[in-house]
Amino acid sequence: MDNTGYIAITRQSSLLKELNSVANNVANMSTPGFKREGVVFSEHVEALDVAEGSISLATAGAYYVDLTQGSLKQTNGQFDLAIEGPGFFQIDTPEGLRLTRSGSFSLNAEGQIVTMDGRALLGDGGGPIVTPQGVSDFSIAADGTISADGDPIGRVGLVDVAPETLRREGANLFSTTGALGPAPDGRVLQGFVEGSNVNPVQEISRLVEVQRAYELSQSFLEQEDERIMKTVQTMGETR
Amino acid sequence: MKALQIAATGMDAQKMRVEVISNNIANMSTTAYDARRADFADLHYQQVQEAGTVTSTTGTILPAGVQVGLGVRTAAVAMNLDQGSLKATNGDLDLAIEGGGYFEITLPSGDPAYTRDGSFKLSGEGQVVTSDGYALTPEITIPADARSVSINAQGEVFAYFEGEVQPQQIGAITLASFTNAMGLEALGSNLFRATEASGDPIVGEPGLDGRGTLRQGYLEASSVDVVTELSELIEAQRGYELNSKVITAADQMLQSTTQIR
Repeated sequence: MDNTGYIAITRQSSLLKELNSVANNVANMSTPGFKREGVVFSEHVEALDVAEGSISLATAGAYYVDLTQGSLKQTNGQFDLAIEGPGFFQIDTPEGLRLTRSGSFSLNAEGQIVTMDGRALLGDGGGPIVTPQGVSDFSIAADGTISADGDPIGRVGLVDVAPETLRREGANLFSTTGALGPAPDGRVLQGFVEGSNVNPVQEISRLVEVQRAYELSQSFLEQEDERIMKTVQTMGETR
Repeated sequence: MKALQIAATGMDAQKMRVEVISNNIANMSTTAYDARRADFADLHYQQVQEAGTVTSTTGTILPAGVQVGLGVRTAAVAMNLDQGSLKATNGDLDLAIEGGGYFEITLPSGDPAYTRDGSFKLSGEGQVVTSDGYALTPEITIPADARSVSINAQGEVFAYFEGEVQPQQIGAITLASFTNAMGLEALGSNLFRATEASGDPIVGEPGLDGRGTLRQGYLEASSVDVVTELSELIEAQRGYELNSKVITAADQMLQSTTQIR
């Protein structure tokens, strides 16, 4: 009988989820390689007791990853790499292979190219890239070939994957259950870092929208409350 | 209400960025200062609903799951190891390193420290020391009767004496390089210490194995680019404001909830 209230509440709890996603996007507006997330609302249809009657409840059914290219920021760092076009860097972690678009790498004490968290960047052969000692001049070509003082020593392996199989793992990493394919259209740029693709204007307008929609269902609930109260009063009077 | 905490992590991150920028700008005239940059990473995600969950007996699966992000954290404050521009000072003991590498210094405790600040002075005993009085390693002592000192690109130190045409070599300056110079720990006073992350120093003659060469009479300027820093500052400030807008919105939504009754 309280379906009206339930529908308004599912709307509100989904809006709170959307608010969280806006907050997470805004919090990560300066995170290199961050891909903004969006929420897909879906209808959950519930059958009613009356014949052919049904109501739909709104649920935040899925979050999607928006893989739009982020802006490129020049840093001049030797191991700052940005990918222009589709593709991901492959990172070796204790939990298995992870993908990232965040390209601020450095060397570790063993001369391997690693992320800021110390995880190794993998070459196209699938192993970590080890740089020779005593070389200070590295250049990385658009196809990912790394040269130390002019001699090629390895190649950054870019892979592409179906976006719907990506799962966020934090630390700018994604895991995937999909098949990895080559990314021939991805170009590696040395001395640049890809910024976050969060668009502040878009997020703020989403924020306003969420807030107003929330208030709307709020006043809807209040009106419903009044209606029930009136019904109770009227019923009381007639008796 | 997760949005409040998420936005708070965002404000924290932007605050950290302003702190790094302010330190860079404060050091825009510090000899051989390397500009720092705050790098961020997103926090852990709560997996509310896994993508790929089977949703029916015919084997259909959820194409995308529900993952709630929890905000942002500072992953690293990394040094930008770019060469700073060289500034002519004409000082006999002012040395700039062109390329990679660090001077090795002995701290009063006896431990080694590393620096690119080559504004050396003489101690009362004629020893080559930093502005703070810490001795250069290997120790080099300039004889009191030397007329002038010349240091070549390979670090060989020559002294000219009164009445002699040929200079005499009185020592050689070595440089230390690191596999991962970004991993050095900054001690302040332009000094660094080797860490597990940087690897052990590889000491040798300047100009070999990736070590830079020396240039007498020059100092390396700070690598801080003020224009970049200022545009970063604007971005950080606006980012901070945006995050606070999210907090305001979340607060107002909570407020309207508590006002139902």
